[in-house]
Amino acid sequence: MTDLAKKRAAQLGQQLQADQLGAVRRQAEGWRNGLAGLTGLVGAVFVLKGRESVAGMPDVWRWTTAALLAAAFLLLLSGALKAVRAAHGQVGEHTWLSGDRLFAAVLDEVERTQDALASARRRSVTGLCAIVAALAVSWVVPVGADEGKKADEPAPGVPRVLVTTQKGTHCGRLVVGDGGGVTIERSKGPGKKDSGRGPGRLRIPAAEVISVTPVGRC
Amino acid sequence: MPAHDPTTFQETEVHPTAPFTVHRSDDGRWYTVTGDCPACHGRTVFRVAHGVLGPLKGRWRRRDAEPEPLTGAIPVYCQCGYPHPERPPESPDAGCGAFWDVPVPPATPPGGAP
Repeated sequence: MTDLAKKRAAQLGQQLQADQLGAVRRQAEGWRNGLAGLTGLVGAVFVLKGRESVAGMPDVWRWTTAALLAAAFLLLLSGALKAVRAAHGQVGEHTWLSGDRLFAAVLDEVERTQDALASARRRSVTGLCAIVAALAVSWVVPVGADEGKKADEPAPGVPRVLVTTQKGTHCGRLVVGDGGGVTIERSKGPGKKDSGRGPGRLRIPAAEVISVTPVGRC
Repeated sequence: MPAHDPTTFQETEVHPTAPFTVHRSDDGRWYTVTGDCPACHGRTVFRVAHGVLGPLKGRWRRRDAEPEPLTGAIPVYCQCGYPHPERPPESPDAGCGAFWDVPVPPATPPGGAP
């Protein structure tokens, strides 16, 4: 009894053997597009919902976020390059285009392409995880966590100004500023930049004011 | 070696009586089956390579590690290269259409012969 399916499978094997590099390249193109889409999707979703700035976070968390984002950038960049290399081959490769050597080169390139694709997949997924981790840190860690522990400091986010006069400088929360002068409220702690002597509101006439500069803290 | 017989193209399974040579390449990545077609007696060289599909090779496996040896039999079809009457022009065959199985010698070392 003749089993033609056996022969068809053998023919398919010969055809795939001749075209396996093309098949792997097409597979890599699909993976490259998928990874790029996934990166764009995750980036869009999380960056839109992320915090705009890491300013005000404690130093250790700010540096952690920066390190995660830097690592994510490097991983995604190298992953994208690997994916492109898998889909389109390495520039500058040479071999003798003769029977067995070409056949061996094709098999080598198939393996290299698959390795590059696997590496691209790992790097992209790790990079995306680093992005998510960085954003999670920025969501969870409260702004001004260090400052919030000090009872004497005003709540974070209150604008403070450094008022320079002919007699010295005063730092505090801006209460009002009009044509007559500037009123600030100084905190109880002795500010480094403040030449004033105690807490409370201080009215500085406009004639004495040289400059008013917003500052983060006194 | 018997002379080539220009038989009519027919896709039929045959059972060879003459032995075939199964040679594994030096790097172990392909087998070459060589012998005379049992139907038309044309010299046939058939190559089977280790390629895509199949299980993953694993994260830490060396790229130059040779694949597992092939076991069982290799389905071979005539590729004598001679024209045969009534061969369809769209057929990928390059022979008389006959096909057969060639058993793979157990644990053929790379570059070795059976």
